[in-house]
Amino acid sequence: MNVKLQRIVFSLVVLTWAAVLLYFFGSGRIVKYLAPDFRPLVLYGGLGLAVLGLFVLLTAGEKSSCGHDHSEGDPHDHEASDMNPFTSMALMLVPILFAVANTKDSFSLAALSRKSLFDEPLSNNVFLAENLPPLTMADIEKTHKKSEAGFYEFNLMELYFAAGDPEIQKLLNGFKVETEGRLVMEKENNEAGNRRRLYRLFITCCAADARAVPIIIDFGKETPPTIAENAWVKISGTVTFPVERGATQVILQSASCVESEAPWEESFMRNY
Amino acid sequence: MNARRSLTRMTGEARQDFAFAFLSILFEGAPFILLGTLISGFIDIYMPPGMMDRFLPKNKFLAVLMAGLLGAVFPVCECAVVPVIRRLVKKGLPVSCALTYMLAAPIVNPITALSTWKAFTGPVMMIYGETVQANLVMTVSRMGLGFLVAVLLGWVVASIPMVWVLRKRLVDELKNDMPDHKAGEHGHACCGDDHSGQHSYKHVESSHTCCEHDHSHEHIHAHKPDGSQRIVAAMRSAIKDFVDVGVYFSIGIAITALFNTGIAPGAAWLDSIANRQILAPSALMVLAFILSLCSTSDAFIAATLDKFTYGAKLAFLVLGPMLDLKLLFLYQTVLRKKFILWMAVGLFITILLGAYYFQWFLNQQIVP
Repeated sequence: MNVKLQRIVFSLVVLTWAAVLLYFFGSGRIVKYLAPDFRPLVLYGGLGLAVLGLFVLLTAGEKSSCGHDHSEGDPHDHEASDMNPFTSMALMLVPILFAVANTKDSFSLAALSRKSLFDEPLSNNVFLAENLPPLTMADIEKTHKKSEAGFYEFNLMELYFAAGDPEIQKLLNGFKVETEGRLVMEKENNEAGNRRRLYRLFITCCAADARAVPIIIDFGKETPPTIAENAWVKISGTVTFPVERGATQVILQSASCVESEAPWEESFMRNY
Repeated sequence: MNARRSLTRMTGEARQDFAFAFLSILFEGAPFILLGTLISGFIDIYMPPGMMDRFLPKNKFLAVLMAGLLGAVFPVCECAVVPVIRRLVKKGLPVSCALTYMLAAPIVNPITALSTWKAFTGPVMMIYGETVQANLVMTVSRMGLGFLVAVLLGWVVASIPMVWVLRKRLVDELKNDMPDHKAGEHGHACCGDDHSGQHSYKHVESSHTCCEHDHSHEHIHAHKPDGSQRIVAAMRSAIKDFVDVGVYFSIGIAITALFNTGIAPGAAWLDSIANRQILAPSALMVLAFILSLCSTSDAFIAATLDKFTYGAKLAFLVLGPMLDLKLLFLYQTVLRKKFILWMAVGLFITILLGAYYFQWFLNQQIVP
C-alpha cells in the first residue's frame, strides 16, 4: 500500500479514538466509566491522540528522516505495519464504534449479578473499613448529618462493610439511618415478597471491575412501594445485623422509601 | 445456550453490558498505550542502536538480574511496556533482558508497590512470632515473586536462540538493522557520523577505533537531518506502533468484556471454580488472566476477594501483570505464538508453585 495512504488511514483511526475519548470526557459521561483518579488521563490521552493523529495527517506528504543507519539492502522501514492498514482500521474501529452505539453507561442486572449484587456480605473487610469515617458513638454526630426525622445519613458502603466488623455492628445495631442507592427485588429468603435489595457500585478503576455493594431492605408487614426496578431511592429506617443463611446480613427495616434523583456518578463521591 | 448470553445472538441487554465494559477498559488503557507508543516512537528514531545494552553488565546472568530491577527506575505498566520493549529489542537490548524487563517492570515499580501497600493495609499476620502488617508481607512478596519469576524466565531465554522467541519479522528486521554486527553488540555511533540516506558514500575496509577491529561493511552516509524531519519520523513511528498495539488491545478487551459480563461461554464455570479452596490460586490466576486489570490498581480488587487465601491473592497479583487476555494479543506483536504458549505454561506453573509455598509458609505462621 502507498505509504502516504497508510499514514492517512492510521491518522483517521487515531483521530476517531481521540474523538471518542474527548467526547466521553467532555460530555461528563466518563464519570460512569472510570474512578476519579483515572478520568483526567482520558482527557490527556484524547488530546495526545488528537495531536498525534493531526500531526501525522497534516505531514502525511512531507519528507522525513530517522537520521541513523540504513545499510544497503535494508529497507529499514519505520512504518511497516504488522497487517494490512485497512484490516487494522476495521479491527480498531468496529469494536469501539459498536460499543459507542450500544452503551447505556450502565450494566444490566444480569451483568451485575456477576458483580456481587446478590452475594453474601463480606465477613472481613478491614481493607475498605480503613477508608471509612470513624464510627464511635461520639463521632457519629460529628461525621453524619441528622435529618429532621431523626435519621443519620449514612453512605451505603458504610452500612455494607459494617457486616464485617463486629464492633461497628454493636454500635449501629438498632440505629436509625438514612441512605440511598438503587432498589431491586431480593432473590433469596423473600417468600413474602416484602424484601428488596439496595445497592450502589464501587468502582476501583473502571466499570469493568465495579463491585456491587448491597444491603437488604425489609418492609416488614408493609407493602413495598411501587418503584421501578433499579430506580434510585432514598431510604430511612432501622439497621440490624441478623445472621441469615450462615452470614451476617445488613438489613434495613424500612420506615420510608422514596424515589430520588440519581447521583452524578456511581463511585460514592456524594456525601464526601 | 441462553439467548441473552449467546455470542451469536446478543440481546440488547448483552450488547449494553459488553459495550459498557469494553469502553471502560478502553478508556482506562488507551492513555497508557499512547504513552508507551510515543516513548517507543521516539526511542525508534532517537536512541542509537545498542545504547540500552551499554547500561547492562556484560555478564548475561547479571544483565538479566539488572533488567529485572529497571522497572524501579522506569515505572511502566504492562500495557505500555510491550511497545517499549519491542522497540528496545530492535535497538539492541538482548531479548532475555527485554523479556525480563517486560515481565518485571509492571510489578517491580513504585506505583504498583504503593497501590499494593495501600490495598492490604489493615490486617496483621504473625510471622516467626512477631506481628507483621499484611500490606508489608503482600507488597514484598508480590515484588519478590514477580522479580524472581521474571529473572528465571530471562535466564531461560538467555540460553535459547532468539529465533525461537521473537517473531520472524522482528528477527529479520534485527538482522537487517545490524548486518555486520551481532544484535546488541554495539552501535554505530562510533563512526562519528549520522548514517542516513540522502547523500551517500561507502566505507570499504574501514577500521573503527571504537571497537578496535576491522569492518568490511558498507554504510550509506548522509548529512544530518534537521530536527523537524526526525520529529515527523518519530510521530509516524509512534502512530504505526499505536495502531499495531491498538489492534491487539481492541481484540483483547473485547474478549475480556465478554467474559467480564458473563456473555462468553465458560464465565459461569469460572465462578464455580473460584469457590474451591484447593483450586483457589488457580482460579484467581484464571480470573486475573480474564479480567486483564492494570497492575497499578489490581491490588484493590484482590484485597476485596476475601473468600480466597493470601496465597491465591498473591498468584492473582503476580500473574495478572505478566499474562492476561489483553497481553496475550499484545505479546504477539513481539513474540512467536509458540513461545508465548510455553511462556504462559511456565509462568502459570512457577507462580502457582510460588503461591502454594507462600500459603504453606503462612499456614505455619498465622495465629488465627
